[in-house]
Amino acid sequence: MQSFYKGAIAALLVAASTTFGSEGAQAQGWMPSGPITLKIAFAAGGGADTQARLIAAELESRYGWTIIPEQAAGRGGLSLLADIRDDPADGTVIGMTVTDSLGYSSRASEAPWTPADFTPIATTASFQMGLVASAGSGWASFPDLLDAARGGQVIRFGVMSAKLADQAYLLGEANDVAFNIVELNGGAAVMNGITAGDIDVGFVAGAQSRGVASGDLVNLASALSAPLTQTPDAPLLSEFGLPFDSDGYFVFIAPAGLPEEARTALAEAISAIASDPSNPAGEAIQRAFGEASTLSGAALTDFLTRQYDDAGALMDAASN
Amino acid sequence: MSILDHVWLGVLAVFHGPALFSLFGLPIPVALVMVLLGVVAGIIVGATPGLGGPMAMAISLPILISIFGFRPEALLPVMGFLVGVMKGATLGGAVPAILFNTPGTPDAYMTTLDGWPLARNGQAGKALRVAHASSVMGDSFSDLVLILCAPFLAVMVERFLDLPEKAALLILSLTFIAAVMGGSIGKGLISMGLGLLIAAIGTGQDFYPRLTLGMPSLAEGFSVVTVVLGVLVLGEVFKSLEDGLRDARSGSRPDTRPRGPQALTRADFGRILPYVCRSAVIGTVIGALPGIGSTLAATLGYTLGRARHARRGGSPAFGEGAIEGVAATEAANSAVSGANLIPVLSLGIPGNAAAVFLILAADSIGGFNPGPWVFRVPTTGSNPEMVVAFGLFTMMLVANLLNWTLGGAVMRASGIMARIPRSLLLPSVVLVTLTSLYVQAPEMMTLVVTLIFGVLGYLMRRLGISPLPFIIAFILASPLERAIRQAFAATGGDVWFLVNRPVSAMFLLLGVWVIVASLRRKSPR
Repeated sequence: MQSFYKGAIAALLVAASTTFGSEGAQAQGWMPSGPITLKIAFAAGGGADTQARLIAAELESRYGWTIIPEQAAGRGGLSLLADIRDDPADGTVIGMTVTDSLGYSSRASEAPWTPADFTPIATTASFQMGLVASAGSGWASFPDLLDAARGGQVIRFGVMSAKLADQAYLLGEANDVAFNIVELNGGAAVMNGITAGDIDVGFVAGAQSRGVASGDLVNLASALSAPLTQTPDAPLLSEFGLPFDSDGYFVFIAPAGLPEEARTALAEAISAIASDPSNPAGEAIQRAFGEASTLSGAALTDFLTRQYDDAGALMDAASN
Repeated sequence: MSILDHVWLGVLAVFHGPALFSLFGLPIPVALVMVLLGVVAGIIVGATPGLGGPMAMAISLPILISIFGFRPEALLPVMGFLVGVMKGATLGGAVPAILFNTPGTPDAYMTTLDGWPLARNGQAGKALRVAHASSVMGDSFSDLVLILCAPFLAVMVERFLDLPEKAALLILSLTFIAAVMGGSIGKGLISMGLGLLIAAIGTGQDFYPRLTLGMPSLAEGFSVVTVVLGVLVLGEVFKSLEDGLRDARSGSRPDTRPRGPQALTRADFGRILPYVCRSAVIGTVIGALPGIGSTLAATLGYTLGRARHARRGGSPAFGEGAIEGVAATEAANSAVSGANLIPVLSLGIPGNAAAVFLILAADSIGGFNPGPWVFRVPTTGSNPEMVVAFGLFTMMLVANLLNWTLGGAVMRASGIMARIPRSLLLPSVVLVTLTSLYVQAPEMMTLVVTLIFGVLGYLMRRLGISPLPFIIAFILASPLERAIRQAFAATGGDVWFLVNRPVSAMFLLLGVWVIVASLRRKSPR
């Protein structure tokens, strides 16, 4: 009921601020022609969904825009892409997903689009993708796991996407071991599986930080192109013959053809909120990921293109 | 943090949660207010023939979510209201059975056998008091068993069951539910199979949506709320409308004005207590098995009570206005509700419609995922899901307290609900259901799909197929598919993973035995 009142008050504030708040929006040089629909590629209530909704609330209060968040979850972000592709490209419809959905997921599903069919706006946070095991396994680093596997131990390897499954497969192949690769429903499920002993090791994209800090979990390796922030000593998987990384971000996108003015205004607004820990959205990002990672403009476009090309190479390598 | 710290955090989450308002400087937490509203609403809908706990929960869930939003703080208030409705409705179900001989639910039919003769003898007040006391005692006993058992059962499951065993346990549960619910094993399996089939549409791990027949609107699959509301609520309304058209109710009602003392004396209490205790145990045991439900508990409680009463030569006999009859039935069917949450909280398997809605609430809001991991004690920090579980237990106990104190009065007052004609009630239910769905997903397609599932629910009822195996299979389909895929992958692609491990093979054999046993039970007829 409290939220109901909060909602009602927020609605009044929004109504008031659209009258008085146009000054702030004018400073950006762009004003949406109506309410902005924010389509979210994640299930309601999870960490990613909360991040999107907090950013939406902060955009409303800072710029006086009206943002209507709605769920477009499913199939690794593909549902959102299919949904948003034909929407008007005037800034009244934006979406939040992960960069992977425009890369491997689009490629593997042979989706009728490429990253060029969307306008990337800005990223908010990067995944701290690590290869995680329970401290009880006795492994301190990735070579320990390889020793165990070569010694005959069956290794159950948890992944949360087809892309990571391909990487796990190639990682085993490069090191002459075979993993039993188990696809689970998201990072939380991989963590649960490791804790419950259902799997021995798995890729986790940042949710492991609390367990690693407390000593319950171990980052055996970094699956990124750079060391993990929390455990910089953990080796990179590229050192073990895996030429593909798992760099990825939460990203805001719009349909292709979004005017440059709108793109810049939205990107600046989202980046400012994500990297400012004094607001609830920025605080949540800092708590979950350590810091914000804000890519936009040409750098973001380049990242998405490279990722799309890499996805093709990864699939070719895994199917050979 | 130990398990006791989690218990305390759970209690605090309810009593120190966000406050709705202050009363004499004391903040009143919103979760408690929602439990109270739920209990009152539950008693009223329970007392209304044609409505019932599950229907009220189905209608209120989307409304509650639109009020409280998807934030983690919304979990306890929303679940508090649902728990209140669940408990209130069990209590309220006795009202029309006793006062008007119109059982609102199948299990309340047993209550009419003695409740109605009592009312005709001018003892309606006493019958309602007996029903109240027995129902609340049965319910409280059942909750205590739940609170003591669920955490330990969950820890055992997590420790001893590996992925293949978990998959086999889900198969066993579905088989069991299909076998014990509905008219026959065949119909139960049809209902379950249909649920699995519908759940397969548009879902799965592939990038391509499955079974959509090329229709883009099927690519997202069906939302659980749409299916549940369509089959459970609209299906029931359609069936009731047809029943209402058919039976032209007429005739004057017998005089049920109070005659003689209506209070429950110490001697009365002594008479009903043995029946209450026995039925409470029966109800709890039956409730702990997923899918059997309160009707069998009520029937068993009543039948065993009748045998005991006859042996002792009690007078009046069961069926002629014995307060023991009302007590035996009400204690048994109320004792089902708490124990019914044991399989949900320890295994993630819903055993009845009320549990379905608690899972649905947890699913929609997020932050609580019923299953064995809920009771895992972390080495550092707290397990927020366990805090929610103990918050839920706290609210169940609060709801019991409210049932003890306010329940009787609300129950007696809600007798008036049975006088509302169906012709007004049922259209209102349809309107509220469709509105609450449209608020969540404002597209005409939502309403069309809900109506289609409503027709499906109606047809299932017409053919004597219980819709509950359908709903539970629909909800369990995705965990089952996941468990099977994961177990297959984890065993290195072993196709025999279900049968070459002793525990999972035993679960499968038990499933086969359940089917064979229910076939043999039916065959002599």
